[in-house]
Order: sequence, then structure tokens, then C-alpha cells
Amino acid sequence: MTVDEAPPGTPVLEMAGISKTFPGVKALDDAGLTVRPGEVHGLVGENGAGKSTIIKVLAGIYAPDSGTMRVDGEELAHVTPAAVRSRGIRFVHQELQLVPTFSVTESVFMGAELVGPLGVRRREMRTRAERILEEVLGTAIDGRRLIRDLGPAERKLVQIARALVQEGPRLVVFDEPTAPLAAAEGERVLSAIRRLRDQGIASLYVSHYLGEITEICDRATVFRNGTDVSVVDPIVESSGRELIRRMIGRDVDQLFPERKNRADRRDEGDGENGQDRDARGDGIALSARGLGDGATFADVSIDVARGEIVGLTGLLGSGTAEVVDTVVGLRRHRTGSIRIAGRDSGIASPADALEAGLVLIPRDRRHDGLVLEQSVETNLNLSTLGRASRLGLLSSKLLASRSDGLIQKLDIRPADRTATTRLLSGGNQQKVVLGRALAADAGILVLDDPTVGVDIGAKQEIYRLVAGLADEGAAVLIASNDPLEVLGLCDRIVVMVRGRVVLDVPASDLTQEELISHMTGSAAGDPTADARTAAPASAPASADTAIADRADGSAS
Amino acid sequence: MSTDTTTRPSAGPFATESTGARVLRFAIRRGPLILFAAVCVYLALASPFFLTQANILSSLEQTAPIAVVAFGLAIVVIGGGDDVVSGGIDLSLPASAALATVILSDQLTNRGAGLPQAFLLALLAALVVGLVNAVLVTVVGLSAILATLATYVAVVGVTRVVSENRRIDVTDPAILYIRDEELLGLPVAVWIMLLVFAVVAFLVHRTRYGMNLQATGGNLDAARSAGIRTTRIVASTFVLASVAAAVAGVLLVARGSGSSPGIDERLLVDMMLATFIGAAFSPRNVVNVLGAMLGATFVALLSNGLVLTRVNNSWIDGWKGVLILIVVAAAALQHRERK
Amino acid sequence: MTTTDTRPGLVGALRSSGSWIARYAFLAAFAALFVFFSVQATSFLSGSNLLNALQGSMILLLIALALTLVISSGGIDLSAGTALDFGAWFAIAAMATYGLPWPLAVLCALAGGALVGSVNAFLIVTLGVTPFLATLGTFFIGRSLQQIGTGGGANINYRDAPEGFRALTSGSTLFIPNEVLLVGIVLVVFYLYLQRSKHGVRIEAMGLQDSAARTAGLRTRRYRAGIYIAAGVTCAVAGILLSSGLRIYTPMAGFSYLLDGIAAVFIGASMHPRARPNVLGTLAGVLFLSMLNNGLDLLGLDFNAKAALRGLVLLVALTLAFLIAKQARRTTAVRAAAIG
Repeated sequence: MTVDEAPPGTPVLEMAGISKTFPGVKALDDAGLTVRPGEVHGLVGENGAGKSTIIKVLAGIYAPDSGTMRVDGEELAHVTPAAVRSRGIRFVHQELQLVPTFSVTESVFMGAELVGPLGVRRREMRTRAERILEEVLGTAIDGRRLIRDLGPAERKLVQIARALVQEGPRLVVFDEPTAPLAAAEGERVLSAIRRLRDQGIASLYVSHYLGEITEICDRATVFRNGTDVSVVDPIVESSGRELIRRMIGRDVDQLFPERKNRADRRDEGDGENGQDRDARGDGIALSARGLGDGATFADVSIDVARGEIVGLTGLLGSGTAEVVDTVVGLRRHRTGSIRIAGRDSGIASPADALEAGLVLIPRDRRHDGLVLEQSVETNLNLSTLGRASRLGLLSSKLLASRSDGLIQKLDIRPADRTATTRLLSGGNQQKVVLGRALAADAGILVLDDPTVGVDIGAKQEIYRLVAGLADEGAAVLIASNDPLEVLGLCDRIVVMVRGRVVLDVPASDLTQEELISHMTGSAAGDPTADARTAAPASAPASADTAIADRADGSAS
Repeated sequence: MSTDTTTRPSAGPFATESTGARVLRFAIRRGPLILFAAVCVYLALASPFFLTQANILSSLEQTAPIAVVAFGLAIVVIGGGDDVVSGGIDLSLPASAALATVILSDQLTNRGAGLPQAFLLALLAALVVGLVNAVLVTVVGLSAILATLATYVAVVGVTRVVSENRRIDVTDPAILYIRDEELLGLPVAVWIMLLVFAVVAFLVHRTRYGMNLQATGGNLDAARSAGIRTTRIVASTFVLASVAAAVAGVLLVARGSGSSPGIDERLLVDMMLATFIGAAFSPRNVVNVLGAMLGATFVALLSNGLVLTRVNNSWIDGWKGVLILIVVAAAALQHRERK
Repeated sequence: MTTTDTRPGLVGALRSSGSWIARYAFLAAFAALFVFFSVQATSFLSGSNLLNALQGSMILLLIALALTLVISSGGIDLSAGTALDFGAWFAIAAMATYGLPWPLAVLCALAGGALVGSVNAFLIVTLGVTPFLATLGTFFIGRSLQQIGTGGGANINYRDAPEGFRALTSGSTLFIPNEVLLVGIVLVVFYLYLQRSKHGVRIEAMGLQDSAARTAGLRTRRYRAGIYIAAGVTCAVAGILLSSGLRIYTPMAGFSYLLDGIAAVFIGASMHPRARPNVLGTLAGVLFLSMLNNGLDLLGLDFNAKAALRGLVLLVALTLAFLIAKQARRTTAVRAAAIG
């Protein structure tokens, strides 16, 4: 635990020895975090490293099991949301915490309205809201406009203004502020943060985009396995690699399974391009040709052969998620075709996909993947209830034997098929989704960001399972914006930028740096170079070095 | 989420919307309004009496009780959110209003009480219903629909006991004053409606409570994270609405010169229609107080106009049902379009 | 997850006594009420009265079964009473006005229910209107149509209905009243479909988390449309029984069954370990409400007082059902957390 030496002046925030345990997970273990007055401090780490947990402790949402927290040198006895707020610590949450039908003024003053004898002082509120936006954040937005008519960057700025409107802001915590933003828009938020620094307001900046961290942060704390492993001070242009090394801090190769036939595949596959594969044809289980939806992606061609794992990767907003949705029938395509085993699939819904032998493991498992209030058994069998029936009635014996088999095979814990799925950890929930796909004996698996919010151990097991399925002959398509994941697991990598495929090569042909530079659209350049400025407003979210996954699910 | 891409005519993120698409969007958003305007034009053409001052004033007078319960419902919907299933709704308001009419009539006619005392008792009864709703929703955790549907039935039952399911005539001078007199050219009942409107509109749009109320209904999580006590807000809406129901009771007694059984059912339809159509009147397209009043006026004009044009009485409810469906279907389509 | 909670004394007591007491609280209340009525009204326990009460509950049972199906899928059907009305109306009108033979009249009635259900299905599945508003709209329109069709709400009498039609409710087969037999068959079908077949599990999944069910490859739109149509048809069966028993069609008679039906479903859900609507629980809820009705009748209460009392009992029953269900959910959560 590197708690750094006496800083110049009292830190605005000093957290030390913070531990927090959830049932089965030690989310924070003697973690610390120090922010100096007026600095922009980065907070980085992989999913599950404890970033969002410590932010929630700081916000007073989680009570820590132990540890102390000082603001401006004074210890806070009771960390409640109100106490934190009154000390000048404000939060700009990742989710847009706004009411769509509110005006900008109303949103900025939500919960802190100015009231006079004649009711709410609308004009004064509007003047002040517009002034904060203009003078502090450097943007002119009419206070009467409605939130739902604003773009995402303007909404984010309104959220920031809300954090500043009450007296005495000392530290503003930004949780992935640019995640939903297009490149040029993200720059507006970043320049707002710089303006805060100029006015002596400190920022704690949580982000997966290391390019942003190196661009605007003065220092950064790296979290790993629930604790702060190091502080990088000062941050310079070239700190990106250093940050990655400290964040990962483990032997990456161990995380991924040996692929049985990967070596053979390389022999025959090296240097092949799309056309050759098309001509070969016979082994291709899933083939998309010239796919486009008329809006977010166009002319996407992907082939997945039996026994092959293909990684579809790109930054958030590059169109990979939409392509996956289209392949499984959640979205319609306007151009191109999807063929399964050489025949036009005609898939218009996930139910059609299932019948064609294709299953989806969705990215938002808590929302789309699992019926959380139902048992593990029900979820495991949900796609294949017909096979657990006899004479049209469900057989509890069949249900039990099928689910027990899967629980054992996937090592789902607790090994209790009657447990309510909501109570499982993220990794075990994802295994249940995988188990459901296994139960369907599908020849083609489509996984969309399968390891978001999953801890390392479960990650490893999921990789092992996916690799095992491919070895048994399944065709696997994985969409992921984690370059390590794609490189480590996949046989082939398809890179998308702004809705188009820019690269389709065997994984062994790429190094991490090369892959990242292709993803950011700055191929052959410096991987940490800022590509934001070049990207038009409509295109991909962010073009900085994206590392690890985009959403921080961690221990919640 | 998936189908909207196929309905959008233009491709590409940079393409501007075609004129046709804009017209379609406008029609969806303002569909109920357009429909209403068309109906009014038709009625004005079909019956020359429709647009006379006397007819409009009498329509307004008919509107008053509907508008006042609709204000109450608007408060509940604003604070609970306009998703009818998981959001705020109070179906028991018409029953509370009917109970108030029975208590008022009984007190005034059978027990010789004055209007203030009678009103206090009616208000008390309505407040009890409001509190029961508040507890059921915020403490027990029933959805607002289910809770208020249950209190609706219970209150209707109690009303029948109190009234013995008979009409009670009222000849109290204060009630007759509200019924017959005019002030500055407007009926007293309309003045009462405007007064309640002013109070509720100030409360909802000009006070901190009102802002918090709107925030709670607009985005519960956001409101909670902004430090607003959302549970209290939601509970308070049911109590405030029950006050509106009691006031509506007075207006109903004046309008009908007493209480009559079964008054709650028609009020339920009219209240829902007025409140939810009212949303179409607001620039933000949300349920609001002014919208509720305009909606109530429209509903009254519509009923009145249909009667004037000799439409069979039985058709009127059907028309209202169709209108409700058009309004909600438009809202649903709009919701889908926004995604 | 549930950190702060104002726990009323009753629920606190239930918690300490274990979840099974909570689950069977309604059975206990049922028994207590049964004893109370037996003591207070001497004729309550007589065979003919109990049979009467059972027969009288058949229509409510059908409505409640239809609602169990709909509520299980995450929806609601406020037009259940309308579908019942249409069933009764079409059956009587087909015979009295158009002189059709009674089996055809029964088919007309079922088509009437299917019509109401199809309108709901169109509004909910195709247009995406929330079930509450869609079925409320159907309810209003259906009510108006009945008024229009009957010249302002007049009854249609058909005293000399054919024997076969009357036998649906008055006759018996193997000593079991036909009505009970018929509804019993429907009950078994519902039980097998919702509780024992894959469809029930799928419908529950839809009701709990529609997007997850869809991603898992279930055809949720098809199911949902089918559910509303099936519910309409089931309610129409109730309408046929009602018109067969009374040989009269009273417009808008169906509404009175709606809230009882909803209450029965939620009472039933409160007996389920995961507080889900279920067929056997619904049956228990219906029997409870019917016994309450019957007992209050026998006590000789005034008609209006009975209405008020019933409303209040329903309110209390729903509140209890919900508190218990909430409690049950929490207990399973605690247990499962302990395992994990």
C-alpha cells in the first residue's frame, strides 16, 4: 500500500485503511485514496478492483467495515450523503441522473431550489444556472431548454453544474463522465474539468480511458484487487503503459486457456483474407455479408467457422454491439445477408435464432440475460424447457438432472439449483447464462461483452468454457472492447471503427499495441495518441486508449 | 428497441429528417389535440348552439367538479410518475368525492348542519381515504393502482351504507348560491374551480415542494440522489388529492342539488380522460395542472356537444373510451419513438 | 438490499415464527372464519348451503383463473368483466334475438370473449399500450357497446331458454353439478398449463423480466397475445354460466367480479413461496372470498352494509396478502444469502 509522503498542504480528501466485505467478496481491503487541493486525480483499475466500491463509500452509500476518511484534514465520524455533500464533495454519476422533462435550470437546482415569498425564484435560478454553465464550465446553454432536447455532452455538463451550484464545492467526483459521449463531445467535458482546476476545485476522475487520464490528470491512483497498489506521480504523456502494467500486475497469459487446435488453425489460417475463407466455405457456420442497418454500421462481413473463436472488437459506439444484436435478431438489417451453415437464416427474433442453433449471451445479463427472481434451475432450462418435459408436462426429475449436470460442469456456486438467481455473484450469474446456452446445444454462440463486471477467477473459468466449446466444434463470436480479452481468447480478430470493419486478421498477427491503435483509428501511430479530435460527432464514443471493460460492475 | 430502425425513413446519422417524418412525428405527439380540435369544429358546425356564451358557461360549470378531482389526480401522477402501472395513480378519488357528496347532503339535509361543519366532516372522511392510500402504497408496498382500486370499492361500499343507496336532495342556501349565482359574469362554481386551480398550480409549479414533486415523478433515483425525501412526497400526494376530492364533493352537490348513487363511475372516466389528455396540452407533454383543467373543459364540451347533436347518450362513453385509447396509444408510440 | 424497513408488529411476529406461518396465514384466517360462520349462522354448515356456496363461486373462479394467467405474465385485465358480459350477451342474444340453437349460441359467446381479448392483444402487443390502460379502454368501449346494443342498458330476458343450455348450470353428471364439473375441467387445464408445463414457466419469466425471456428465445409477443385472448375466452365461459343460470342478460354485470378476481389472485400469490400468482392459490382465494360472501349473507346483514363490509375485508385481505408476500420474499432472500 503506497500511501505517499506528506503532500504540500492538507489533502482535500484522505481515505485510509478502508475495508468493505460483501457476502463472499472482499471488495475493499485496506484501501486508501488521497486527493490534493485543486488537482485532477485519476482513479484507474480493472473491473472488480474496487473503484466503484470506494466511490460509494466516499458518497456515503456503503458503510465501510473499517477505515477513516478526512476532508480538509478533519475526520468525518459519520459518512452520510448529506455530511459528504455539506463538506463540498459532489458527484457526477455515470448514469445520467436527470429528469428528461425538466428544464436545464430545474435540473441544476434539483433538490436545492431557491425559494422566496412568491415561491420558487425561477429567474434567479435561471441566471445562476446559466452563469455557472457559462463562467465555470465554459458553455452557453439556455436555462429554459429541456433535458430531453439536449445532447449527451450538454446533459453531462448540466450534471456537473448541479454539482457546483451549492456553496463551496471542494472536490467533484467524476465517474466515467465521457463513457456515453462521442469524441468531440468528450472534449467539452474534459475542458470543463480543466476549468474547475483553474478555479481551485479538485476532481477525482474515474475512467477506463487511459488516454484521458494521461491527458488531464496530475496524478493517478491505481487500484487492484480491492486496494490501492500505487500512485503514479506525476502523470505525463507516456504514463499510459506504466498505468496498464500496474493495473494488470499479473501474468496475462495464465488468464487464457491453451487452445487445442489454435496452432493448427494458425498454420492453415495465416495470411488468409475474407475472400479466401468465403471460397473455402464449407466450415463456415455463421456468415454475415455486407451487413448494414442504415444508421450505425454498414458493409460488415464476418465469417465464423466451426471450432473457431472470432473476436469482434472496437471502442464503445463502434457498432459492434449493434452488429451482434442484428445477428441474433434483436435488430433488423437493411442491407446484406446473414447465412447460417450456408443458408439464409431469416432470423427475426432470438426465438428464430435459437431454432437455427444460435444463442446469444447478452451484455446486460441482469436485465436481458436472466430472470433474476427465478431459480437457477429455471434459468438454466429456460431456452430448452421442451426437452425437460414428458407428455407435455415438465418433469421435475429431468429439470433437476439437467440443471445439476450444468451446475457441476460450470462449477456454479452455490451449487443449489433452487437458489434465486439474483443472489448469485456476477461471475456465477454469467455462468448460468452460459449454462443456458450450453443446454440448448447450439452450434453457434454469440457472446456480447461476456466478462463485464466478472471477477478474475470467474473470468478465467468463462474463458476456459468458451475455449472448450470451440474445441468441441462450436462456432463462437465474441464482441468485446477489451483488447486483452480478444487477443488472449480469439483465433481471429475483426476490428470495427465507426460502424465499419477496418481489420480482419488472425489474432496471432497482432500485438496489443497494434490492436489498440487499430481500434482507435490511429493505426501505426502511438497507441496512447489522442484520436478524439479527428472523430466526427456521430461516431464512436471515445478514441483514447481503452483498456479493460467499459462498465464498472465490480462488487455491487 | 429494434423495430424503430425500420420505420425511420432516412439513413445515416447525418441525414436530416424528411418532411414526411416530421409531420408524422407531429401528428403522433399532438394527435389527441388535433382530434379534439376536429371534434370541436365538427360540433360547432353541427349545432349552432354549441358556441354560444350560455352553452360555454354551462359547460364550464359542468366541468368544475371534474377539473377539481383531475387536479388531485394530476398531483398524484406528477409525484408518482406517469407510468400507470408502476407510477402514481389514484382511482379512489371519485369514490372519495362521492362519499363527500353523501356526507355533505346527509349533514345539510338530514342533520341540519351548516356547510362549514358538513364540509369539515366530508374532508375528514376523504383525508382518511387518502391516508389509507398513502400507507398502502408507501408502507405496505402495494402498487398505486391496486391499492386505490381496492379503496375505491371499499369507499363505494361505505358510501352506500351512509346514503342507504338513495338520493338525498339539498336545499341549503350556501349550496344553492354555488349552483345558481354568478360573480363578474362567471358562475360561482367556476370561481371555486379557478381558485383551486390557482392554489394547486402555485403549489406544483412555484414551490420547492412542487419542484421536488416533479423530480420524484420524473426520475425517482435522480430525486433520491438529490436528497429529496421521495417516500414522503409520494405519501403526501394521496393526502393532497383527497382534499381535492372533498372540494369536488361540494361542487358535485351543487351541480346535482344533492347526492345521487352511482355518481362515482362517470366521474372516474371523466377524471382519467381529463388528466391524461391534459398531458397533450403541455409543451413538455407531461401530466400537469393546467392541462388537467383544459382537459376537463374539453371533456365537458365534448359531452355537451354530443348531447346537443343528439348523439345517443350511450355512445358518449364509447367515444370517451376511444379517446382514452387514442391518447394512450399516441403516448405509447411516442415512447417507442423516443427510444 | 433491504436496509431500512419500518416493520409493523404483525409482520415482525410472522417473521420470527418462520415463513410457513406466513404462507398459511390465509388458511388460518380461512379456518377461523369458517368456525365463526358455523357458530353464528346455523345453516352455514348444512350440505346444501356449502354446495350452494361452491356453485356460486364458479363464475368468480373462472374470472380469477383468467386473471391468474394475465397477472402471471406481468399484465392486468380490467376488461375481464367486459368479456364476461360479452359472453353472456352474445349467448342470450344469439338465442333470444336470432333464434340460434344453443350450441351455436355458446360458440357465439366464446367468440365474444375472444373478440374482447383480441382487442386487448392488439392494443398491448401491436401498439405497445400498457395493459392497464389498454384494458381500461376496452372496458369503457365494451360498456358503451352494451348500452348501445341494449337501448340504454335494458336487460334481455330469455326465460324459456332451451333445456340443454339451462342444463349447463342446473343439471348434474354423476352427482356432480354440471357447472362444478365444467369449471373443474377448466381448473385442471389451467393447473396443468400454468403450473406443470413449460408454458407456465415461460409466462412467469415473461412476467418477471420480459427482455430476458425474449433473449432466451421465448416468443413473448405470441404468448402475450394468446394470453389475453385466452383470458377473454375464459371470462366468456363465465358469462355463459351466468346467463345459463339466470336466463337473463344484465348489461355491465361483469364488473362486480373484477376486484374479487384480482384479490383472489393476490391472496393466492401470498401463499406461494416466491409470492407468484398460482392456480391453487387462486382457488384458495376464491373459496375464501366465496365463503365470506356466503357467511355475510347468512348473517342477515343489510345489502348496503354487506357491500361496505366486503369492501373493507377485501382491502384488509389485500394488505395482509401483500405484507405476507413481502415477508416471504425477504425470508427466502435471507435463506439464499446464507447459502451463498
